[in-house]
Amino acid sequence: MTDDAGPEPPSLDLTPRPARPAAGQRRGALALLLLLVGGVAFVLLRTLGDASLFFYDVAEAVELRSDLGDSRFRVVGTPQPGLVVTESDGGSAVVFTLCAGDVLADVVHQGDPAELFQPGVPVVLQGVWTAGRPPALDGLSNAAEDGWYLRTDHMVVKHDNDYRSDGAELEPCGAAG
Amino acid sequence: MAGRDERPGNTGSRGSRLLGCVALASLVVLGVLAFFLTGPDVRLHPTTGEEFGQFDAVRMLYLHVPMAVLMYASFMLCAAASVGVLVKRTPWWDVMAHSTAEVGTVLCGLVLVTGSIWGRPVWNTWWEWGDVRLMTTLVLFLLFAGYLALRRTTTDPRRQERKAAVVALVAVLDIPLVNRSVAWWENRTLHQRSTLEELKIQDLTLFTLMFGFLTFGLVVWWLTLQRFRVGWLERAAIDHAVGSAIAERRSETSADELDAAIGVTDEQAGEASP
Repeated sequence: MTDDAGPEPPSLDLTPRPARPAAGQRRGALALLLLLVGGVAFVLLRTLGDASLFFYDVAEAVELRSDLGDSRFRVVGTPQPGLVVTESDGGSAVVFTLCAGDVLADVVHQGDPAELFQPGVPVVLQGVWTAGRPPALDGLSNAAEDGWYLRTDHMVVKHDNDYRSDGAELEPCGAAG
Repeated sequence: MAGRDERPGNTGSRGSRLLGCVALASLVVLGVLAFFLTGPDVRLHPTTGEEFGQFDAVRMLYLHVPMAVLMYASFMLCAAASVGVLVKRTPWWDVMAHSTAEVGTVLCGLVLVTGSIWGRPVWNTWWEWGDVRLMTTLVLFLLFAGYLALRRTTTDPRRQERKAAVVALVAVLDIPLVNRSVAWWENRTLHQRSTLEELKIQDLTLFTLMFGFLTFGLVVWWLTLQRFRVGWLERAAIDHAVGSAIAERRSETSADELDAAIGVTDEQAGEASP
C-alpha cells in the first residue's frame, strides 16, 4: 500500500488501559478487605461490650456495691500482706485483702493466682460481690470483715512503668487515709 | 537511585548493602545487650521488702518499645507521602506511601506479638480485651492491613493510589489514640504509662533502649529503601508490559486486517492502488 492508496485508515486506539487483575485475585483481595472490615467491627463491638467491665478502684467498688449487684466488674487494688491458700467450691482459692488508700475489701480468688502476684503489687481482678464471710478470714491480719467479699476468677497484674533499680513508687495502703 | 547496580532483579546498591550490614551488626549487638549484659528487673518493695518486678521478661522491652516507636514513624511517613499523592500525584509519593505502610504493618504485627509474649508472664494474660492500648493498636493493624488489601484489588497500583491515600490518612488518626491512651485512661487500662516521658529508666537499661531505637531505625530505613526500590521496579515492569503489548499488537496487525476492520474491500483497495 502506497501513500496515495486512498484515505488513511483510522488509527487503532492503543491508549494503554490499566490491566484488570484476574477475577480470582480480585475476589480474594475483596474478600480479605471485607474480612478486615469485619475484624475492625468485631474489635470495636468487643471493646464497647467490655466497656461495662472497666476498672473500678476498691473505694468505688465498695461505694457502688448495691448498684453493682450481681454484675461482673473489674476492680484494681493492692493486695495487703498476708495471703491464705485454701479450698473453695472444690478448688483451690487464695484469700486476701485488697486495698486502695484506706478502703479495704476481702477477696476470694478462685484458681491459681498470677505468676507475679504478691502483696504490694497492684492487680486487676474480675468477679462479683458476694454477701457473707469468706473462708479462712481468720488467717488475714488486716481483713475488711464488712460482711461482703469479692469472688473473683480472673487476675492480671498491673505493672508500674519504673525500671530504675531503686525505683518503686508504689503507693502503700493507708497513704490516703 | 543513582549508584544502584543495573543488574536486573537486584535492588541493592553499595550504600544499601553497607546500611544492611550495619543494621544486622546492630541487631546482634542489641541482642547481646538485651539478653546478656543488662540485668533482670528486680527491685525491693518499699513496704513488704520482698523482691518484685518483671524479672527476665523486661528484656522484651528492648525490642517492643523501639518497634512501637518506629511503627509510629513508618505510619506517619505513610501519611505524609499520602498527602504527597493527593497533592503532587507523582509515582514517587505513592511508592513511598505503599512502602512505609507495608513496613509499618509488619512492625505493628511484631509489636502485638512481642507485647503478647511479654504480657503472659508479667500480666498473666496473652491478651486483654478491653485494654485501650491493645485494642487501638489492633485496630491500627487492621486498618493498615485493609490499606494493603485495597492496593491488592488491582494489578495497576495507579488505579487505587488516591483511594489508598485517603484510607492511610484516616488510619493514622488512630495513632494519637494508641499513643495517648495510657495517659487518657490511666486508671482504666492495664498497660502502663510511658517510661521515657517520666524518665523512669537509667544506666545500661536506658542505653540499651536507646540503642534499640538506633538499631530498629537502621532496620526500618533499610527495609523501606528495599521495598521502595521493589515498588519502583514493579511500576517499571507494568509500564514495560504495556509498552510491549502495544508493540506486539502493532506487529500482529497487517494492512489487510486494518482494511477489513474498517470495511475496505480488496477491490477498493486495488482500485486505489496505482
